[in-house]
Amino acid sequence: MDDTTQHTYESATARIEEIIRRLDSGEAGLRETLDLCKEGRELVEFCAGELDAVGQGLEELRLDELVARLEQRPPEAS
Amino acid sequence: MSEQVRPEGIPGVGFEGPFAVGSYAKALQARMRERARVQLFGEVFNMRRGRGAKVYFELRDGDGAVPCSMWRTDFDKLGPAADAIVDGAQIVVAGGPDYYPGSRTSSPSFSFQVTGVRVAGEGDLLAQLDRLRKALAAEGLFEPQKALHRPALPHTIGVVTGEGGKARDDVLAGLRRRGWGGRVVWAFAPVQDRHAAPRVTQALQDLAAHDAVEVIVVARGGGSLADLFAFCDETLCRTVALLRVPVIASVGHHTDRTLIDDVAAVSCSTPTHAAESAVPLHCIDARADVARAAVALQRHGRQAILGRARTLAQLSRAPAEHVARHRGRLHQWLREIRAAGRRGCDRRRKDIVTRAVVLERKVGAAGGPDAEGRRGRLDSLAAAIGAHDPQRVVARGYAMVEDRSGELVTTAQAARLARDVRLRFSDAEVDATISEDT
Repeated sequence: MDDTTQHTYESATARIEEIIRRLDSGEAGLRETLDLCKEGRELVEFCAGELDAVGQGLEELRLDELVARLEQRPPEAS
Repeated sequence: MSEQVRPEGIPGVGFEGPFAVGSYAKALQARMRERARVQLFGEVFNMRRGRGAKVYFELRDGDGAVPCSMWRTDFDKLGPAADAIVDGAQIVVAGGPDYYPGSRTSSPSFSFQVTGVRVAGEGDLLAQLDRLRKALAAEGLFEPQKALHRPALPHTIGVVTGEGGKARDDVLAGLRRRGWGGRVVWAFAPVQDRHAAPRVTQALQDLAAHDAVEVIVVARGGGSLADLFAFCDETLCRTVALLRVPVIASVGHHTDRTLIDDVAAVSCSTPTHAAESAVPLHCIDARADVARAAVALQRHGRQAILGRARTLAQLSRAPAEHVARHRGRLHQWLREIRAAGRRGCDRRRKDIVTRAVVLERKVGAAGGPDAEGRRGRLDSLAAAIGAHDPQRVVARGYAMVEDRSGELVTTAQAARLARDVRLRFSDAEVDATISEDT
């Protein structure tokens, strides 16, 4: 199961904040707490991955270079 | 001035000279100043007041333009009217052509030397701009871009700007300030001449055609409204309004609002701000936030187990603690009961002693002064009673006769009737049978 594929960074962080608010409230039972922690950890990993994607150093391309690069790459499997 | 050696002219060219350029420049200046003083009208563009001795602007209309200059002292004499001489204002100027010959260290320049000004009204170009702005607004073209989702953390940003301009460095500086290290795709285009609008439009369309590009920045440094007029182009603005990718415009400054500022998703005052707006998230802060969230989740997960385990442990200890608590309470009660018993016994003992003392005193008091006499009389009575005791008579040699039932036999007739009798002497008893043979 990987629900994080449906998330954007904003929606993921919003969901993490929601999860932490719920956990902070102390109202969640044991099973719910463990489920929320698991979901939260997956979202944190997703966000960390997004940050890593824009944390490798700024890459500059001209538009024609982008076009050439995209043309070289085989089409992604849908 | 050192004397210059006049070189040979160009072979085959029949023109006069060569003349020293400085002399020619001065002659040109004189010739310009000989020309008739006239009045011109047109629209003010690129007004530069500066701090120097002169103010500069261009006077334009649809067919041409003339650079103008005016001594600051003359300009200041206009008073409040000077404030109306801004870009787009329609004015009439008086003056004539002049030429500054320059020198070895300064550039020459041509200008129309203005000696008088009258403000005639708002310029046609600005009026056209205002009409177009209202038309685009009426068509709702200011809204679509603003409704587009702008990612907080785009991976790829397209930038349309001049290739050699400072705006490029400013964009990069803004992105670095965000701690962002994704991919920038440059689409360079001229940003201020008459070729600018179609080239910028094409660049925007090309960038938006790629799915990877998540947001586009259109950046240009400051300039007069005339310089920025390319960004008021109707086709360009309509294209921007209908792009699927959000466009962040940074064209000139807020004082020079162009139409692309109105149709774009966001309008920024500088390319640096535009870059920051393209990446709303500060990546370093965001990384810290994510780390904090991870710690919080870990803490909650641990507490969920440990907290409950602690509660269970407390619950398991509760019965024993309950019994111990009750045992302690019982022991306490026992100690209290014993202490209370001791206190009760002591109190009663003291009461009894007190009563005994009281009784003793009462007994003493009840006896009074005749107690001895009464005792003597009692002793006499006891002696008299003792004298009549049958045992004492028996002891003197008499015997008592009793029948079987223990009744005294006091007559001979009774003895005959009883027949079996018991004779009680002082030392013992003897059974006897009465017989009468006579």
